[in-house]
Amino acid sequence: MMPSTAMSSPVYKEGPASMPFNSQSSGEATSARDVVDAVSPPRSDYLQLEGLAKAFGATRVFQDIQADIAQGEFITLLGPSGCGKSTLLRSIAGLTALDRGSVRIAGEDISHLPPRKRGIGMVFQHYALFPNMRVADNVAFGLRMQRVEREARRQRVEEVLRLVELEAHADKYPHQLSGGQCQRVALARALVVEPQILLMDEPLSALDARIRRHLRDQIRDIQKTLGLTTLFVTHDQEEAMMLSDRIFLMHQGRILQQGDAEQLYTRPVGRHAAGFMGHYNLLDARQARPLLGHHGEQGQVALRPEALYLVAHGLDPVKSAELPLNAGPGCHGVIRRRRLLGNVVRYEVACGELLLNVDVLNRSARHLLDDQDRVVVHADLDEVQELGA
Amino acid sequence: MSQSADTVTMASVPSGSVRRRWRLDPHRLVVLGVFTILALPLVVTLGYALAGHWGASLLPDSLTLKWFVELWATPRFQAAFVRSLLVAVGALALSLVLILPVAFLAQTRYPRLDSWMNGLILMPFAVPPVVSSVGLLQLYAGGPLPLVGTPWILIPTYFTIVLPFMYRAIANSLRAIDVVSLMDAARLLGAGPLQAFFLVVLPNIRVGVQIAIFLSFSFLVGEFVFANLLVGTRFETLQVYLNNMRGASGHFTSALVVTLFAFTLVLTWLGNRQSGQDLAKESAS
Repeated sequence: MMPSTAMSSPVYKEGPASMPFNSQSSGEATSARDVVDAVSPPRSDYLQLEGLAKAFGATRVFQDIQADIAQGEFITLLGPSGCGKSTLLRSIAGLTALDRGSVRIAGEDISHLPPRKRGIGMVFQHYALFPNMRVADNVAFGLRMQRVEREARRQRVEEVLRLVELEAHADKYPHQLSGGQCQRVALARALVVEPQILLMDEPLSALDARIRRHLRDQIRDIQKTLGLTTLFVTHDQEEAMMLSDRIFLMHQGRILQQGDAEQLYTRPVGRHAAGFMGHYNLLDARQARPLLGHHGEQGQVALRPEALYLVAHGLDPVKSAELPLNAGPGCHGVIRRRRLLGNVVRYEVACGELLLNVDVLNRSARHLLDDQDRVVVHADLDEVQELGA
Repeated sequence: MSQSADTVTMASVPSGSVRRRWRLDPHRLVVLGVFTILALPLVVTLGYALAGHWGASLLPDSLTLKWFVELWATPRFQAAFVRSLLVAVGALALSLVLILPVAFLAQTRYPRLDSWMNGLILMPFAVPPVVSSVGLLQLYAGGPLPLVGTPWILIPTYFTIVLPFMYRAIANSLRAIDVVSLMDAARLLGAGPLQAFFLVVLPNIRVGVQIAIFLSFSFLVGEFVFANLLVGTRFETLQVYLNNMRGASGHFTSALVVTLFAFTLVLTWLGNRQSGQDLAKESAS
């Protein structure tokens, strides 16, 4: 059974493509940076975060933030609300002062530069569009500040609006646009000044589900086309896994784990990581012995609900072709609760003192088990994560 | 109270012919009743100001504009009018210059300042004018700003009166546009703090500030207590002038009251039109 929730996202490692609106626009728009990009290979430590720390009074927001981010990489800061991810993003942008540590872009320390000199573009959760300006003027704002002359400005605004598919709305005011359109304007406004780094602070959280999915794909496409190094903050695990080259899982102001979607989902490093990703069953190793055999005595183990297998009581488990090769001993139990999530059915099964979540693909309504049905649960021993103490 | 008003009016209206033309729902009747009560004295005053002679009869003998003409031609009235304008404009300019930055900082960098200000703006309501005027006289009697005896004392005094209206209006406007995010966005796009303020923040709170200014202005033009207590004898504002003229012809003072009212009405209407246009713009989407 391949549960649908475990999706593996390919890891993109592309070199930075030159900005498409650069090549089309007049020569003066090409900055020195792009020339450098064209010559040197993408560096793996393009954006360096070194020992970043921030506290508001006695409360520590984040600390010991250490990371190297490659050029053109799409990084997601994933974590529950209040874990410090948004403040970290604002600190990188220079909107919140750091207590300690340094931020380097291409080896250059930008920690002491004001926000406008950092070459960083940012997209906010609630768009932060300027209500008094039309879409085109909103997008042109950054160019106006750089004193780009009118004709070049108009051209670049037009190009970037085409990129986000909003060229028809250039003369509208923000209050005449939908949420998704507003966020695309905000994206265009951040992109038009050709930032070195793009920061996105929960840009999809204020949108409804359908638009969120569409814009998510659009953001990823644009980011790949431009080869733009991007940091994306979200609390949505699915969003993070769909978008990212790498995910930084944050908890209480620290990065718990860095890795691609597959690593984070299938090999969480600790209790908090396992608790946040998926719907892991977290068990004491001693408690879990009936399920795992003599697998371990110390600490905790984490079991994904889709790596557990249910066999209805009375069927011969040996004959059942569905069990994995390295299945643990059967553990008898009773179904306490059944929740239909759509393509997946989640059973809550009581096996002695263990209470387990088991996900089963919803192939047919005929195979649904009812509350109080007696079942045998097997674990796939290859998928057991030992978390230590 | 609204119910009794309904039943009385309903009973007096002959059912049928009127009801067919416009429905007399209770809601409309209440509004009409309140409007009548408020407008009646004004209508009578207007009638008196326009009457040539209004003595023993129910209606005036003749209609004339001579009281208005006489009033507007009086140099003392003109001077009082200009003084009132001057003091109000001065006070509003001072309040704008002082309150705008304070409200801006309270909404962006120093949130604690906002709760301080919220306490402070209650003071003009809590302290009666008679008390605060004594304090103000003492404050401006000496020190760096010896304003007692000069009309300029009205400007800082009026500042304290409009402070609550101005501060609340500006603070609310700033909060409504999520000023922190707007400033952040502008700064990241290359704007300096002043550029960001003038290009992004100010245009978006303009309407709210304008409304506050118009309303405060009409309020200040009608202010009497402070003007009379602080500089009444040597510096006649409109209200002080009205008070001093109370012994003169009733027609004359009626014309003065109506003029004042019309002026205030126009200002209030201008202020409301601003907000109305803004609302219309919002709903146009």
